Amino acid sequence: MDLSVRIGPGTLPNPVGVASGTFGYGSEYEKLIDLSIIGALYTKAVTPEVRPGNATPRIIETPAGMLNSIGLANNGLAGFRAAKIPYLRTLPCPAVVNVAGAKGDDYAKVIEELAAEDCIWGWEVNLSCPNVKTGGLALGTDPTEVEQLTARLRKLTSKPLIIKLTPNVTDITAIARAAEAGGADAVSCINTLVGMVIDTKALRPVLPGKTGGLSGPAILPVGLAAVYRVARAVRIPVVGLGGISEADHAVQYLLAGAHAVQIGTANFIDPTVHQKVLDGIRAFAALHNLKSIPEFHQFID
Amino acid sequence: MAHIVTSVLENRPVAQDYYELRLAWPSWAPAPQPGQFLTVRTVDGPVPLLRRPFAFSGFDRADSAASIIYQRRGHATTLMTAKRPFDPFDILAPMGNGFPDPGSGRRPILIAGGIGMGPMMFLAERLAQSPYPGILIIGARSGQYLPRVVLSRSVQTILCTDDGSAGRKGSAIDIAREEIRQDGCAPELYLCGPHGMLAAGHALAEELDVPAWVAMEQTMGCAVGACMGCVVRVHGGEEYARVCMEGPVFDSRTIVWT
Ligand SMILES: Cc1cc2nc3c(=O)[nH]c(=O)nc-3n(C[C@H](O)[C@H](O)[C@H](O)COP(=O)(O)OP(=O)(O)OC[C@H]3O[C@@H](n4cnc5c(N)ncnc54)[C@H](O)[C@@H]3O)c2cc1C
Ligand SMILES: Cc1cc2nc3c(=O)[nH]c(=O)nc-3n(C[C@H](O)[C@H](O)[C@H](O)COP(=O)(O)O)c2cc1C
Ligand code: FES
Repeated sequence: MDLSVRIGPGTLPNPVGVASGTFGYGSEYEKLIDLSIIGALYTKAVTPEVRPGNATPRIIETPAGMLNSIGLANNGLAGFRAAKIPYLRTLPCPAVVNVAGAKGDDYAKVIEELAAEDCIWGWEVNLSCPNVKTGGLALGTDPTEVEQLTARLRKLTSKPLIIKLTPNVTDITAIARAAEAGGADAVSCINTLVGMVIDTKALRPVLPGKTGGLSGPAILPVGLAAVYRVARAVRIPVVGLGGISEADHAVQYLLAGAHAVQIGTANFIDPTVHQKVLDGIRAFAALHNLKSIPEFHQFID
Repeated sequence: MAHIVTSVLENRPVAQDYYELRLAWPSWAPAPQPGQFLTVRTVDGPVPLLRRPFAFSGFDRADSAASIIYQRRGHATTLMTAKRPFDPFDILAPMGNGFPDPGSGRRPILIAGGIGMGPMMFLAERLAQSPYPGILIIGARSGQYLPRVVLSRSVQTILCTDDGSAGRKGSAIDIAREEIRQDGCAPELYLCGPHGMLAAGHALAEELDVPAWVAMEQTMGCAVGACMGCVVRVHGGEEYARVCMEGPVFDSRTIVWT
């Protein structure tokens, strides 16, 4: 079984990655997990400037899920350079830098300034950030803007460029097609869903920002349906994520049309999940005599 | 820090709504220090989803056992009360930074309230065997919430309640203030408990111009420093610090008290 995954000019050793914001920069997990089995490590978002992040609490558990309101807390480009790049050079797996910002210039700046770093395998562009131009509506909700921004970033890099899609839109396939038209090598979906929890004793929302991003097992069917639809709308590879916590979930994503998957919230709960998912994908392939990842796509129309 | 799938040795009530859970500690696992915590996955399924953090209340390499004292609060801790000997216990541990030793010539004053009693008992036991034994003050609203846990004879313990139904009447902070005055020592404060108690402890330390160490609490996601979820406000350039990595024990002067 060939587990490798081609994305644009790059190849990943296996389809099981770890999702941005749930795995830090890798060093946080090195004592618990053998990082060499990770197919791709998507870093915490990098923004040009330092972001201290949102007020607390930032996390609240929900039925079979959790809400987060981290606020893209990160040390900015300079901090990333100084503190994280040296570590990424030692990583035994491909590092994909998750890029975020409030406007197009921010994304361009991060990619431009880090473009020469050999230890970066590729980019994942997080389009779910509130957009200053549209007054807080996420950047990734307008197909025209998505196509323009993708085209702009495409010119800055020859490395794999993955556009990460927000599910908080009417038609996710329109955004996926815009990313493809702009020159993306792949799309990843889904980011978190907007959600809310109210403290009925205190009579106020638990998160100071009122709403947050829902992740975890609760969103598995939503992510799966998004991947299923997007995979039929574009020709570029789709990276599926949302709610994966066991091998069967990842296999469902591959069957739905994904070329690769990412594990997010489950990293917090089960340090053995990556090995189990990899083993499960191999076992499924053996059972059905599949030789490569694209062969997973033949079963479901 | 390690992923340890171990088993429950004992799980017994020690006060109203409080339980002490002892777990088997494999010989290969790193030794937990007072102030450090574990995170436990209470079920195999997705509800409750996240691991829950609990501070160690004791550790004995010779017995191959570690313990926590927990309060039944919501879903996860209610499920924990049903754990029986030999039940599996899936933890990440030991996490975070423990309490530092007191400065030379300082007398440690340990102040515990509510869910903070576990780590303070652990610290008191450790200090009792050191050149600088301290005083352990455990406060509760009323008598039934005080722990029925046997500590070594060498641990000097004062129990107190807000309503005077057991031990001395008054808050743990008030009792600490009295003890320090009578003792005439140069104290160093160690605190774990409700936020208000920690803030009052910090104020007392400022008033006496002595150091204070506080164990902070915050909702956690990963507990390994990756998610930036568990932060508290701190003074200085960084603005926020992670309870799971930079903490849970902080110098009280670094915390922005609100
Ligand atoms: C470093 C640290 C050490 C702790 N040590 C102890 C201890 O020794 N003994 C003890 O009884 N309790 C301790 N706690 C608190 C304990 O983790 C919570 O009481 C427990 O998570 C409640 O879970 P629940 O499902 O029963 O309650 P829930 O109904 O889910 O929550 C009740 C309260 O617990 C807190 N909580 C919920 N989820 C989390 C989470 N994922 N991470 C952190 N806090 C959460 C929140 O404040 C919430 O309001 C500690 C917390 C931290 C951060
Ligand atoms: C605490 C936390 C922080 C996150 N931070 C980011 C981020 O910085 N950039 C990003 O693109 N996605 C971020 N995400 C979204 C995840 O990468 C992922 O899309 C989402 O959680 C769904 O997958 P899951 O259900 O497997 O967690 C974050 C998610 C969580 C839970
Ligand atoms: S709980 Fe994730 S950083 Fe502390």
